Amino acid sequence: MSKHDSNKRKNYKSIIQDTISKNASRRKTKNNLITVLLFCFVVIAIIPLGSILIEIIKNGVGALSFEFLFEAPGSIGSGGGGIGPAIQGTLLVVAFATLIGAPVGVLAGVYLSEYSDSSRTFAYVLRLFNDVLTGIPSIVIGITGYITLVLTLGSFSILAGAFVLSIIMIPIIARVSEETLKLVPNNLREAAYGLGLPKWKVIYHVVIKGSKSGILTGIVLAISRITGETAPLIMTILGTSLFFSGFNSPVDALPLRIWRLASQPYPSAHEQGWGAALLLILIVLSLSIILRMFAQQRRITFKSTT
Amino acid sequence: MVNLKNCTILGVSILALSLLIPVYTNSVNAQVTINGAGATFPFPLIDTWRVEYKNVNPDVNINYASIGSGGGIKQFIEKTVDFGATDAPLSASEFEKAGNAVHIPETIGSVVLAYNLPEVTTPLKLTGPVIADIFMGKITKWDDTKIKEINPGVTLPSEDIISVHRSDGSGTSFVFTDYLSKVSPEWHDSIGVGKSVQWPSGIGAPGNEGVAASIQGSPYSIGYVELAYALTTQMTYASIQNKEGNFIAPSFNSTMDAVSSAAGTLPEGSQSWTNVTLTDSSGPNSYPISSLTYLLLYKDLSTNPSVDEQKARSLVDFVEWAITDGQQFSESLGYVPLPQSVVDINEQTLKSLTFKGTPILSNSTS
Repeated sequence: MSKHDSNKRKNYKSIIQDTISKNASRRKTKNNLITVLLFCFVVIAIIPLGSILIEIIKNGVGALSFEFLFEAPGSIGSGGGGIGPAIQGTLLVVAFATLIGAPVGVLAGVYLSEYSDSSRTFAYVLRLFNDVLTGIPSIVIGITGYITLVLTLGSFSILAGAFVLSIIMIPIIARVSEETLKLVPNNLREAAYGLGLPKWKVIYHVVIKGSKSGILTGIVLAISRITGETAPLIMTILGTSLFFSGFNSPVDALPLRIWRLASQPYPSAHEQGWGAALLLILIVLSLSIILRMFAQQRRITFKSTT
Repeated sequence: MVNLKNCTILGVSILALSLLIPVYTNSVNAQVTINGAGATFPFPLIDTWRVEYKNVNPDVNINYASIGSGGGIKQFIEKTVDFGATDAPLSASEFEKAGNAVHIPETIGSVVLAYNLPEVTTPLKLTGPVIADIFMGKITKWDDTKIKEINPGVTLPSEDIISVHRSDGSGTSFVFTDYLSKVSPEWHDSIGVGKSVQWPSGIGAPGNEGVAASIQGSPYSIGYVELAYALTTQMTYASIQNKEGNFIAPSFNSTMDAVSSAAGTLPEGSQSWTNVTLTDSSGPNSYPISSLTYLLLYKDLSTNPSVDEQKARSLVDFVEWAITDGQQFSESLGYVPLPQSVVDINEQTLKSLTFKGTPILSNSTS
């Protein structure tokens, strides 16, 4: 009986081992297959980005020169001159937009994260409108700026451009700020309260400082988003070939310049267009790298004392 | 808030840096900046004037943004720019809305039928009705008898015709459909004239550039682009039969002839130009698909509150230079210079312009 039993057990054992090894090999192949498949998808997702970058660098590098960076454009098709006004305009408009948009966006995020408990419906409505604002096509925001600022002031201006771009920035910054502020552990807040700090000091010294890099990421995201905007700028800053000359005259921007250069029949204009595209990418890239360095340098780390 | 401080520091430093850039250009306060906006078609020419006029009058900055004819008319009426530019004349309602606008033709455009037939080396001939039939999808093969009849001795391939048209609203489409409406009653009744129309067949492409790329990229295709574009991109294009029955290749001279022969019918600058078209014009050597493109000014320049007397004078001086000396830059850019008859009409128009009631030109020239 016992012999029979042990035989039986052996049988079962081998059967189980067989199944396991069979299963295991099937799972392994499945696993490998899926890994390869996922890798392929990642490659497919990266291909457009890579090819865009390669294409822009390949075509744009030839256009870059001192003259190209700092001078006003020569007559189109002549290949002379540069895109100085466009670079200056983009930097100015984005800087002004950030000066308006970043404080409003961050403070909105602070409200939603720290103060909204008392009136949940209001906060819900705010969040909803904020999300809707993110989804509004930028050209519509451009038309709003055109009607409210360009028509009332009577001229295209950098202020109108900065205003519409800041409206595009605000919901992005507000959303990201709210999310990162919420990540600050509650016991930090409680500890600060325990030390007798008033609420605003808790928010200012603990909550915001603790989530600074997250907030900066939001601002960087928003800046990268608006730097490439074309449609709302056509409606507000119009574009020009002159350097900045005042707050009530048109200014230029890189996306506008690229669009204009690309629609010309002259090869020299296309080359300048590629150069301008390369510069636009470089500006966005370096802005985000600089801001990230700022964030990293002054990051506060929470040390546990126990 | 440290992060805000960071941003502020960064923002301010960027501002300061970028404000430094104009140091490279000598900026003088006495300079006048004239802002204009409108049609994309004359942009290269106006942009050349911007640079060249600096040599004539260093104190005047011309600033022209190509935002399309429709946008140019709108901004002109809203008075956000000092002058507008458009390929199509103001419609009756736009003319009324603007109040006292004048049209100043500043250059001439013509529309070319470009095609891609790898086997055919002799230039193709086409007539208006045949072009209309091709774009309506009624002639579908290159060796259709209607095409063969007007091209004796040319061996045409038995391939499907791919017609390419503009997918965006465009002054070029306006001129092209205007011509087809004149030569084909069927086109006139079923499709009509417009900056964008319901194309019964063919493929759409954005901009002159898009149409040109589509034609170059697909054999056995045909489409319409501006002359300047066809010349700079070395495309093959067809000769087209004009009103007198001659087949005329698009060129500077044949386009100028079309304008000259129509010049007698042009209205005064301050009248409505709504019904002015140069397509299918008479004259033995006239190319049939051409059109004027206009600058828009107010008859009394003080109508626009942002224009002061100095600016008004600079603007009129610039326009006068553009329609006379400025025309020398046309041909190298692929534009057709204005014939003398049109320049004369423009001179009359400019003389009639006023600022708060006083004429501008006679003051400055005397």
